[in-house]
Amino acid sequence: MTAIGSYFRNIKDAVTTIFEGMAVTASHFVRRPYTVQYPDRTPMRVQDTLPIRYRGILEVDLEICTGCLACERACPIDCIVMVAEKDPATRAITISQFDIDIAKCMFCGLCSEPCPTGSIHHTTEFEGADFSLESLIKRFVKEPIPAYKAKKGPETDPRIAPILDRGMHFLDEWAQPGGEKSGSTT
Amino acid sequence: MNTLHTEEMTLNMGPQHPSTHGVLRFVVRADGEIMREAVPDVGYLHRSIEKIAEKVGYHGFMPYTDRVDYVCAMFTNQGWASACEKLAGIEVPKRGEYCRVIAAEFNRLASHLLSVGTMAMDIGAMTPFTHALREREMINDLIEELCGARLTFNYMRIGGVAFDLPPGWREKALAYLDHFEPIFDEYNALISYNKIYIERLANVGVISAADAINYNLVGPNLRACGIKWDIRKDVPYSVYRDFDFDVPVGEGRWGKLGDAMDRYMVRIRELAESARILRQALTRIPSGPVLAKVPRNFKPPAGECQVRIESARGDMGWYVVSDGTAYPWRVHVRTGSFAAMGIMQKLSRGLMIADLVTIIASLDVIAPEIDR
Repeated sequence: MTAIGSYFRNIKDAVTTIFEGMAVTASHFVRRPYTVQYPDRTPMRVQDTLPIRYRGILEVDLEICTGCLACERACPIDCIVMVAEKDPATRAITISQFDIDIAKCMFCGLCSEPCPTGSIHHTTEFEGADFSLESLIKRFVKEPIPAYKAKKGPETDPRIAPILDRGMHFLDEWAQPGGEKSGSTT
Repeated sequence: MNTLHTEEMTLNMGPQHPSTHGVLRFVVRADGEIMREAVPDVGYLHRSIEKIAEKVGYHGFMPYTDRVDYVCAMFTNQGWASACEKLAGIEVPKRGEYCRVIAAEFNRLASHLLSVGTMAMDIGAMTPFTHALREREMINDLIEELCGARLTFNYMRIGGVAFDLPPGWREKALAYLDHFEPIFDEYNALISYNKIYIERLANVGVISAADAINYNLVGPNLRACGIKWDIRKDVPYSVYRDFDFDVPVGEGRWGKLGDAMDRYMVRIRELAESARILRQALTRIPSGPVLAKVPRNFKPPAGECQVRIESARGDMGWYVVSDGTAYPWRVHVRTGSFAAMGIMQKLSRGLMIADLVTIIASLDVIAPEIDR
């Protein structure tokens, strides 16, 4: 008798638990859907909704690049190639090449961390599909340009000041070694 | 009279089988539906990550640790960072440690959600998978705001973390936990207590406590066999001493102790425990710096060290040998998934082929973690 009893009890349990599960599923008919259709049905460009720390495709503001080669040294996969020459007489640095192989880049962010001005930084752009690997190499230097030289006090050049402000904004996101910074704003 | 001979069949499951979650191959010797044994063939995802460490230096290896186990990359980050800190004797600021615990526990939630979700999907229930992934997606959004990436975080640095918590993030995280705890009961009603699901998992792939220790199982797989062993509790690292949490162990409520259902339920209950730790960490986080001063040209003194981390897949060991230069002499990672592959051959004897899928899912094997 117990065998028959447990047989029917199992059927009863199965049916009731299925309906409990189904009740959860049914409740989703009246909830707002969580999914959105990408790319054409999003209310705004996805790139604009991403946080500032998002590590998308790398971008370089050459106007504020000091040519210190810190990013090239920090890159663990050598996807940054940079040539910066120092004139022995005037001590001015000229940047003649700054290439980043986006196809090789693993978006780790180690290059933008040591940058003194925030010149190299990640954008929120992630749609980088292309038909050839060659076109994914970003060549920032068209012709050799002088490197940016940090001034004492605030930047006075009206053309460079907003770019430097933006660069420092990226730099502020990184934790400063041992620094108090935003630590107390919990 | 001639007897009709039956023949043993050799089947290949994988390397590209949807239930193996990655590139993983089993050579199954089967007699009809019954397996004689299933021999795991690992090595398809070997990427020489340990060798790469010897070439890229201490700071440069951090993004590679993300790829050791991409489902819970925070733990591999933490393992590598703590190993280097132990070598060089660096002390991490208190707030840095809290940031690490918060990030890691969120990652544990994400990893366990993926595990229980894909387990239900492997068994044949498609809906719970979407529910679990929806919750994981929200955690990914939080982590994305914290460190800029959704999967390969590269959040931790030797000496602390790369970013402090962004403004307003703490409130968002607490709000997410408020949302998560009811969802958790909803998920249980949806699938965990479903009679058919329980019948499918109970008494499948039973591992005894002695076997679990002999085969060196770790993490939730070990705890499901009734052994209370958690690195966070028994060999406390970071700031886990400060938190009050329980270590869920298998109970054998639905079948024998140490079956697939126990492993599933241990993960489900660990979700609640992680949420508890997170709530304590988020309310108690002290102010201060998050990153200790570490030279960019990091050269730890010659020596070796071993660090243990309780990752989502259990006891993860990092062994680093330094010879005093800027590059480690040898790095070795010991992961939970590799240990779980060892018991597969024994577990599979006499089971149905369909149960192999259940076992793989219940052991929560992540293919890249097996081979590194």
